[in-house]
Amino acid sequence: MLGEFEQLVLMAVLRAGDDAYGIPVHAELVRHTARDPSLASVYKALERLEHKGLLSVRTGPPTPERGGRRKQLYRVTNAGQKELRAALGAIRRMARGLDVGLEPS
Amino acid sequence: MNPSAPPRLALRLAETLIDERVREAVVGDLVEAYRTHQSPGWFWRETVLAIAHFPARPRLGHSQGDGTVIGFLDELGRAARTLRRAPGFALLCAATLGLGIGAATAIFSVADPVIIRPLPYDHPERVYVVWENDQNGERDNLGFATYSDVTAAATHLASAAAVTDWEPVLNRNGTAEQLEGSRVSWSYFRTIGVRPALGGDFLPQDDAPPRNGVVILSHVLWSSRFAGDSSAIGSFADIGGRQMRIAGVMPADYDDVLSPRAQIWRVLGYDQTLPYACRSCRHLRMVARLAPGSTLDATGAELNGISARLVRDNPKDYPAAGFQLVPLQREATREVRPALGALLAGVALLLVIAAVNVGGLQLARALQRDEEFAIRSALGAGSGRLTRQLLAEGLVLAAAGGAVGLAVAKVGLIELMSRLPATVPRLAAVRLDWRAFTLVGVVTLAAGILVGLVPLWHARRGDLAPSLRGGRRLAGTSHRLRGALVVSEVAVAVVLLAGAGLLARSLFAVLSVNAGFDPADAATAAIQVSGPRYADSAAVLVWHDRVLEAVRGVPGVVGAAITSQLPLGGNRDAWGVQAADKPLDNPELAPSPDAYRVTTGFLRTMRIPILDGRDFVDGDNAAQAAPVAIVSRTLARRIWGDERAIGKRVHMGEPDRPWFTVVGVAGDVHHRGLDVGETMQIYVPTHRWFFTDNGVDVVVRTSGDPGRLLDALQRAVLEPDRATVITRLATLAEVRASSIAQRTLAFTLFGVFAAIALLLAAAGLFGALAGAVAERLREFGLRSALGATPGDIVRLVLGQGLGLTATGAAIGLVAVLAGAGAIRALLFGVGTRDIVTLVGVTIVVATAAALASVVPAWRAVRVDPIVTLRAE
Repeated sequence: MLGEFEQLVLMAVLRAGDDAYGIPVHAELVRHTARDPSLASVYKALERLEHKGLLSVRTGPPTPERGGRRKQLYRVTNAGQKELRAALGAIRRMARGLDVGLEPS
Repeated sequence: MNPSAPPRLALRLAETLIDERVREAVVGDLVEAYRTHQSPGWFWRETVLAIAHFPARPRLGHSQGDGTVIGFLDELGRAARTLRRAPGFALLCAATLGLGIGAATAIFSVADPVIIRPLPYDHPERVYVVWENDQNGERDNLGFATYSDVTAAATHLASAAAVTDWEPVLNRNGTAEQLEGSRVSWSYFRTIGVRPALGGDFLPQDDAPPRNGVVILSHVLWSSRFAGDSSAIGSFADIGGRQMRIAGVMPADYDDVLSPRAQIWRVLGYDQTLPYACRSCRHLRMVARLAPGSTLDATGAELNGISARLVRDNPKDYPAAGFQLVPLQREATREVRPALGALLAGVALLLVIAAVNVGGLQLARALQRDEEFAIRSALGAGSGRLTRQLLAEGLVLAAAGGAVGLAVAKVGLIELMSRLPATVPRLAAVRLDWRAFTLVGVVTLAAGILVGLVPLWHARRGDLAPSLRGGRRLAGTSHRLRGALVVSEVAVAVVLLAGAGLLARSLFAVLSVNAGFDPADAATAAIQVSGPRYADSAAVLVWHDRVLEAVRGVPGVVGAAITSQLPLGGNRDAWGVQAADKPLDNPELAPSPDAYRVTTGFLRTMRIPILDGRDFVDGDNAAQAAPVAIVSRTLARRIWGDERAIGKRVHMGEPDRPWFTVVGVAGDVHHRGLDVGETMQIYVPTHRWFFTDNGVDVVVRTSGDPGRLLDALQRAVLEPDRATVITRLATLAEVRASSIAQRTLAFTLFGVFAAIALLLAAAGLFGALAGAVAERLREFGLRSALGATPGDIVRLVLGQGLGLTATGAAIGLVAVLAGAGAIRALLFGVGTRDIVTLVGVTIVVATAAALASVVPAWRAVRVDPIVTLRAE
């Protein structure tokens, strides 16, 4: 079962699209969750997800603004999408009919 | 500060301490994000959190690791692989460093136990050698009566002992062996601060005339001649025809610094009634241990008080009052200390120049790799990364150098030990031990860091952008750096060359000293017989005659003689001489010439000239002949001034000894050494002296190469008595050479160091110039195109080389002028500011510099302007 932060990170990776490395993923989290986790905790979650086979990793090109360091680019695997769907479905089912001030989607 | 550059320390920490799995990605993100955050505090917080989440951990076999110990090991492995791709360079560096480290280690290994480490005795700092003063303030031995009075009266001495040389013959299992030994007071070993390992020490009751046949053996003698048999202790051995009891065996690691070759010690066994126990019978050395709590000053004052009393009571027995106290180790190493100190300094300089040279080579290589560094740097390889890489390469080179150095030290030490005179104390303790290994380790580490840092300085300071733009122009800093390296190498080489030059001039000065005799075409054998058969003087004189007879029969021998001692042969047998017509109030102020008991043909055989009067004739050795003597010129002048010496009467020793009539004046000879000035001599016929010598030197004059009849000479001297012990068999030229062996060795080593230093300095200069020319090819091409003649360009390159050389030479010469006093004790016939040496060194260095500049200059001239300009 996915943890809540892991779900958020998975979705942030999906949102970041083709250029999903640390900074865009972090930026999506900041933008949508009003939290400011440390980069390190984001990477910790990314690593955990990778170990579970929910994310795949490849090495990207170095860029000058990174001091010539290479990026690690993440992509959600099929297993990851399935896991995310299951988790979000469970939350939706649990939320249905509860008055917590959210529009049922 | 560049606003987009994150805090350097934080970045360095992140680069080092974040686990390698995510390091590049995380640090890259941090750096990128910092561009928008611009908050060092944020960067620090993120860095610390990242390190906390992903702490670096050692992983073996993973080549991405750096920043940890294991990671650095990886880096070392990578450096080794890099260097393996440049084997010529790596070998050159390892050989250069190895030579320096090896030479330094070998010299250190010799110097360490001899002059650096305290002697391995109990509280060695309390042990002093005590000398009497003579009338010139020089040190002199003591007579037994003086020694007894001093030890009886002194309260500041815990114990004291008298020592004299002893060369007994051990007769065992039918063979005779000459031993080196000492006769010592019973308290000798407790004064020195050692105990026998087996058996017991001497006892007070052993040290008296009727019972003085007690000996203690060295461990080597006990294990070789007594088969290491513990039953030997307490048994008796035939020593010089007398049965002596073996009381004990010294420890294996004990060596007697007062008598470095001693194999056996016997109690002195004197008492004051003996004729040779008098105050003026100065043949004993005294060693004393200060009582706990006594200071040197208090002890010195007390001994001088005792001396004043002795002189007052016995005015005719002392030439002067006072004692000199010298620490035992300083005394024992007196003769080798200046040479070893100078060699240590020389070898340290050699090591410096070797390290600087390898640093220069690494720098040159770093310049070639500018592009590699620039690309790595531009792609974000942190300076930490480059630091680690260069440091690792430096350490790998140094480690290879250290390994080569150990081999060089091992071989060098064996060579050195075979050449060092056996009179150097503590040689038995010389070995490559943990102290030497520690030295190698420390030096290797230091050299590695130095070699790594030299190019690093360039890499960090140098502007890398030009390298990227394809330009191969040298940045100003590395230009200066390389120049500084060359200047320091030249300076060090000049110092070593000047040292070698001064030692060479001294050696030549010593070699050109006229010894007073003719060492060419002559040979000598030192022989000794012992045992009851020779208790009678007449028997010894018969043996002399039979030896001479046998030796004269050797083909090629044209003259032969026997003498009680040989000039430059290492003996010192001097007697006070008083003249009948010049009586002295205090006989102790009489001149003390070397006394030679000789057979008739000695002066002729040695080619010592007769300046006045006559040589000995056969009749002088006849049974009833009147006692006659020949004195040397300086002795005659010292006693009689301008008066003629012939016909004067002289006296030696006890008052009841006969008076000798001077029949001739001979030329002076150098008896004690070529570099210690002429001494005075007196010659008397063997038959006229009041005792006979059963240990003598045979000298022969030969018609051809004396080296070729040494074997025949050996057979001849053994003919009269097969049990004769031969302690030396050599040509006179060899005797003369071995008297300056230490000086020759010091010069040889310094010469080798200087030659290597010059070679390294020249190589360094060549490298720097070749590099500079390679970088300025375009400039030279342009100059040629603009009309510069080849001569102009050669002048340009040579000017650069000679400029660096001149600066280095100037610094070196200033250092020589300031520091040459340090080797003053080794110099002879030449001052520390010898202009010939300084000019010679300058010429040698300038020549080497010119040679090193020729090839780079030639390359510069051959630049084709069209080719270089097209490349632009």
